[in-house]
Amino acid sequence: MTMHGMRGLSVFISDVRNCQNKDQERLRIDKELGNVRNRFKNEKGLTPYEKKKYVWKMLYIYMLGYDVDFGHMKAVSLISAPKYPEKQVGYIVTSCLLNENHDFLRLAINTVRNDIIGRNETFQCLALTMVGNIGGREFAESLAPDVQKLLLSSSCRPLVRKKAALCLLRLYRKNPDIVNVDGWADRMAQLLDERDLGVLTSSMSLLVALVSNNHEAYWSCLPKCVKILERLARNQDVPQEYTYYGIPSPWLQVKTMRVLQYFPTIEDPYTRRTLFEVLQRILMGTDVVKNVNKNNASHAVLFEALALVMHLDAEKEMMSQCVALLGKFIAVREPNIRYLGLENMTRMLMVTDVQEIIKRHQAQIITSLKDPDVSIRRRALDLLYGMCDVTNAKDIVEELLQYLSSADFTMREELSLKAAILAEKFAPDLSWYVDVILQLIDKAGDFISDDIWFRVVQFVTNNDDLQTYAAAKVKEYLDKPAVHETMVKVSAYILGEYSHLLARRPGCSPKEIFSLLHEKLPTVSTTTIPILLSAYAKILMHIHPPDQELQSQIWAIFNKYESCIDAEIQQRAVEYLALCQRGAPLMDILAEMPKFPERKSSLIKRAEYSEADTAEQSAIKLRSQQQTSNALVVTDQHPANGATSPISVGELSLVKVPSMITSENDTSTDLSQQNGALSNVDTQPPSADLLSDILGPLAIEGPPGATVQSEHNAISGLEGGSDAVDGSAIVPVEEQTNTVQPIGNVAERFHALCLKDSGVLYEDPYIQIGIKAEWRGHHGRLVLFLGNKNTAPVVSVQAIILTPAHLKMELSLVPDTIPPRAQVQCPLEVVNLRPSRDVAVLDFSYKFGTNMVNVKLRLPAVLNKFLQPIQVTAEEFFSQWRSLSGPPLKLQEVVRGVKPMPLPEMANLLNSFRIMICPGLDPNPNNLVASTTFYSESMRAILCLVRIETDPADRTQLRMTLASGDPTLTFELKEFIKEQLISIPTAPREAAPAPAAAQPTPQIPPNDPAAILAGLLS
Amino acid sequence: MIKAVMVMNTQGKTRLAKFYEYLPVEKQQELIRGIFAVLCSRAENVSNFIDAESIFGPDSRLVYKHFATLYFVFVFDSSENELAVLDLIQVFVETLDKCFQNVCELDIVFNYSKVHTILDEMIFGGQVVETSSSEIMKAVEEISKSFLYPFLLCLSKKTC
Repeated sequence: MTMHGMRGLSVFISDVRNCQNKDQERLRIDKELGNVRNRFKNEKGLTPYEKKKYVWKMLYIYMLGYDVDFGHMKAVSLISAPKYPEKQVGYIVTSCLLNENHDFLRLAINTVRNDIIGRNETFQCLALTMVGNIGGREFAESLAPDVQKLLLSSSCRPLVRKKAALCLLRLYRKNPDIVNVDGWADRMAQLLDERDLGVLTSSMSLLVALVSNNHEAYWSCLPKCVKILERLARNQDVPQEYTYYGIPSPWLQVKTMRVLQYFPTIEDPYTRRTLFEVLQRILMGTDVVKNVNKNNASHAVLFEALALVMHLDAEKEMMSQCVALLGKFIAVREPNIRYLGLENMTRMLMVTDVQEIIKRHQAQIITSLKDPDVSIRRRALDLLYGMCDVTNAKDIVEELLQYLSSADFTMREELSLKAAILAEKFAPDLSWYVDVILQLIDKAGDFISDDIWFRVVQFVTNNDDLQTYAAAKVKEYLDKPAVHETMVKVSAYILGEYSHLLARRPGCSPKEIFSLLHEKLPTVSTTTIPILLSAYAKILMHIHPPDQELQSQIWAIFNKYESCIDAEIQQRAVEYLALCQRGAPLMDILAEMPKFPERKSSLIKRAEYSEADTAEQSAIKLRSQQQTSNALVVTDQHPANGATSPISVGELSLVKVPSMITSENDTSTDLSQQNGALSNVDTQPPSADLLSDILGPLAIEGPPGATVQSEHNAISGLEGGSDAVDGSAIVPVEEQTNTVQPIGNVAERFHALCLKDSGVLYEDPYIQIGIKAEWRGHHGRLVLFLGNKNTAPVVSVQAIILTPAHLKMELSLVPDTIPPRAQVQCPLEVVNLRPSRDVAVLDFSYKFGTNMVNVKLRLPAVLNKFLQPIQVTAEEFFSQWRSLSGPPLKLQEVVRGVKPMPLPEMANLLNSFRIMICPGLDPNPNNLVASTTFYSESMRAILCLVRIETDPADRTQLRMTLASGDPTLTFELKEFIKEQLISIPTAPREAAPAPAAAQPTPQIPPNDPAAILAGLLS
Repeated sequence: MIKAVMVMNTQGKTRLAKFYEYLPVEKQQELIRGIFAVLCSRAENVSNFIDAESIFGPDSRLVYKHFATLYFVFVFDSSENELAVLDLIQVFVETLDKCFQNVCELDIVFNYSKVHTILDEMIFGGQVVETSSSEIMKAVEEISKSFLYPFLLCLSKKTC
């Protein structure tokens, strides 16, 4: 058909298809949009046919990705057309173009209602479809009762009723507070007696939604579901049209089994037995055949049956049968089944203890790591990671290492992190652990975060028998022609400390070690040089008798760096030189580093899934248990190390670890400072354990948790090594708080969400919090998606919003319990009152098992969300620019320490914050001019103008000028942009400079708790 | 719930896009581009799944099927069974095939209103409403009967 015989439309589509390139296409489309716009203006001469044609064109243009911001009213008005073709296009286009809050929808409600309660079935279907696709609040308020009636009406045909069921489902999902489903259990039970499989499928979907919300009310539906499943599985009385490749409606079977997974258990012995017979039949009766479609269908049913068996926690025998099946699947030719086989095995690991049986398939899983399909390789990696324990760690980690060299770039980071975690968690012996990490650094240095190499240093320092080995090992790596900078760091540290243990070996004289390290110096960045300098100082100290030649060589180096521009390097050079020249004191201050207080690796904490670990302990764990007491004794024997420390060592307090908080000369402190600079996280309060707390921001939500959580870590960490932890596991006297670690980097997630509007805000083994946001002017609507990842409910859920003074926020009701594997949506309305960079915080807590978890998460309702890019002409820009003549409306600042980036990158960065670059306004190509509008309730829209002048010779500084009609806005926006330019986007934002509070942000009362909190966090 | 249905050709041109949760048009295009970038790099004879969370956010899955010059892509959340959705793509394509007799890309390009009608008979507000392609066809034809003129045209002559 030519679009219902619309020639003009076909011609237009052909024209667009014939366009040679995007520019031509845009021209053609702009022309058409102009044409349509014109025609709509002179509405009088427009026939219904023409209207219809133009509205279809609008949809086509919209589909091609062009915004169609007019004519919506025309589409909506077609809904009330008397004839089907016009009505249809009205309904279809409206449901594609408008969102649920669009004002025009209100105008159509009456027509829609008339169509729904009218007699014309075709119209009923059209109206239901649009309401179901959009699902708005006002629709729910005025239409839900009518839709319910249709669903239950015996006079309605199945064609209408199945749509009514889903329409009700959509309205209920979107507006659970409006659509009343009390007393629906009986009606649902009645609907399950339906013979028409179309209606039954839709009803089953509705039931899933109802049961997932409250299974208690729907027990009466359970036996009926089992009956339906039995009828389908035995292929009794299933009409031909619902048999798909010989399988009786796989969709209905799957949905029915989904419903059953929302009931915690099945008590009734008869129903339970019937169900298990059916499941058994499905498990045993499914074979891989030649026809791909048949395979897909039968395995859709089979995988759902597996999920149900897992959920019901069936007898051991049935479980092993499931694993055996999965084992078969992961080796079949059909890639989809391999994929799902691996995925389901991973799921199975989480819920039941079938690990031993799964291990039998290890070889096959490792083979899948080399599958041609990257999707499958990812699943294999997840599974290997999940199934790894002390017995198979060596094999698995070595496979991962081997795979690392050939893995796709996109997977390497995950791969190396997982390998590092497994190596630490399950190392059978420590030298193996060192080997693995060094190999990782060697093969994928770019992906090895600092915490990984810190951890190696920690182990080597704490284990005397490891030191010689590690020193020899790193030397081998340094001998290689190309060495990654991280390898230089770890080698310099270890060789500085322990290379004297190798002194008798060939090629390992202090001189040789020194020149080996020193030849790397020209290749490394300023963050590594301080570590090298420390190493030189330490090497020098270990030479007996002193080697004059080497000494003068090293002194010369210190001399040279004494005037280095980098403060850290300069300070070390000056101090080491002074110390060396003094002779004796060098010995004490540069003595071997004391043992680190043993504590749990943040890397592992990060990765730990509700791990109730078995009797089998890894070497590292055992070691650490034996060592805690040791560590303290040892450090106490070296008072010299901490001699200059302001903290009394003698107290032997567990928290104040001797010699850790010491003079600047001490390498450990240097290391921490240097790393602080490195990761740009200066907001961290100093903490007892340097090595692992430096990792704080990586492992936990940086700023909000920083104070609370690091204290907590300090305590649990200290217990970590002793038996205290095990003890408390046996005697669960009280609930544990925050033993759950987030998955992924919370700070990074927050920063990503500042730039985009949907994504994960937080995730841990139990809960996932997603966010989806829409911003319009000074209004925002966020939806929090709280998902329970487990098969048990999450309870005592609490979400409190700590609102800064410049926002008004309203969170809808958060349910106390999230049912297993369910997701609840909590809309959050935001109104921006005035400009501020303060951040709102979500204080979220829940209980899972005995774990009480509390996290404080920054919400991405940040300044830039209330910006709207705007393109201004040169005239507009300059007249505004001139009229805003100086402070406080126009502020200028020279910003130093800017992250060097090419100009286009900076332009992109600004654009990503909705500050729109206006090219061509500034004649100087090194300058950027941009404009945006800021929306707030107090001021509505305010135009903001930005000019950035860069210096091509020195990309680390620039001059920035900001102008707007409001002094606070000018200041806040200037600071905001500055923060974006000087910080690394993934690191937590710079500490809000203290003067900021004194600057013109007077609206915020200083004692506002939310503002104080937000200030702490930013 | 099914979040989106997309049909795009092997050049990355959108042929059909239906989102069951409202998204602004730029966002839609961004997602479509993101998906296409992954799809076009995939070989034949691999699985029909790709990782969707990096493109669509948390709790999203994606299955696709490649037919001649077209990719059929369905995005959905964990409340749906992956293979069942894959079957649904098959039903969709089989129904198009019945409707257009050996459907080709051009049929979809020039008859996107009809394609929308078929899709609406199969997926409703992100849920499967009908899985039998003969029932879908019946419904579509029934509609066309009441408006004989345009649909007669459609069934009698293909205009590629």
